[in-house]
Amino acid sequence: MPTVRLRDADEYPDATRKMFELSSQWFAYDFKQPPAMSRVMAWDPEFGAPHGRAMKRAMGPGEFTRAEKEMVAAVVSGVNACSY
Amino acid sequence: MTAHTAAGKLQGLAEDAPWYEAAFVTGITNALNVVADGLADVLPPLDDATAGDATAVFAEIRAFHAGLVPAPFGALARDPAYLADVWAAWRRAFSDQRLTRRLKTALAFAVSLTTRSSFGTRFHLAELRRLGVGERGVMEVIGVTQMFSSYTKIADTLQLDSDMGAIAPVDRSPAPGH
Repeated sequence: MPTVRLRDADEYPDATRKMFELSSQWFAYDFKQPPAMSRVMAWDPEFGAPHGRAMKRAMGPGEFTRAEKEMVAAVVSGVNACSY
Repeated sequence: MTAHTAAGKLQGLAEDAPWYEAAFVTGITNALNVVADGLADVLPPLDDATAGDATAVFAEIRAFHAGLVPAPFGALARDPAYLADVWAAWRRAFSDQRLTRRLKTALAFAVSLTTRSSFGTRFHLAELRRLGVGERGVMEVIGVTQMFSSYTKIADTLQLDSDMGAIAPVDRSPAPGH
């Protein structure tokens, strides 16, 4: 159970909601409600936007593919014992 | 973790087999790191002169690791039968299967960096380079490791429930050998 109330997408201002469209594009999935982490990061765009750009830069294809990097992220999350 | 497994499946790693392999690499990497970092100063590795029956296993390890016997294997040589089984599991985990040894080494480097394993970070970084990964590739793994060491802590601090597991395709294939 989250310790904060996660706001629905329509509770965010229009400009912030554009971040949710980017989220759908990033995951190649049409979410009914943006993922919880996307809504958390949208809470403060001045934090979430640069954090998200750094993430996307790290995850973009290079010597490793995006899919391979998702696997790296999964094992990092696993050893951090993060179920999310 | 659920989010990235789902995202990875949506990005083309849809079958379960690669994820089983990634899990085995993660586990055995951490297992060796625990011994390496915990015993480094208190239980020195044996060598060919002192390892007795373990020297045959040392030869296999050297063949797999470009002439090197990583220190924790040397420490485990005090029980040659145990060493042989740990080594066999390690070799299987890191061998090319559905995932390449190169990617598996990247996973091991990420695991080691995340768990602050001095041995694992150094060893798998050297292996990554030996396997042809350049500085850009190394930085990519570092970047992913760092960014998701951030996201995971944000998720944990707010105790977010996983909400992405259901978006991944489900692999209905039977177990291997069925």
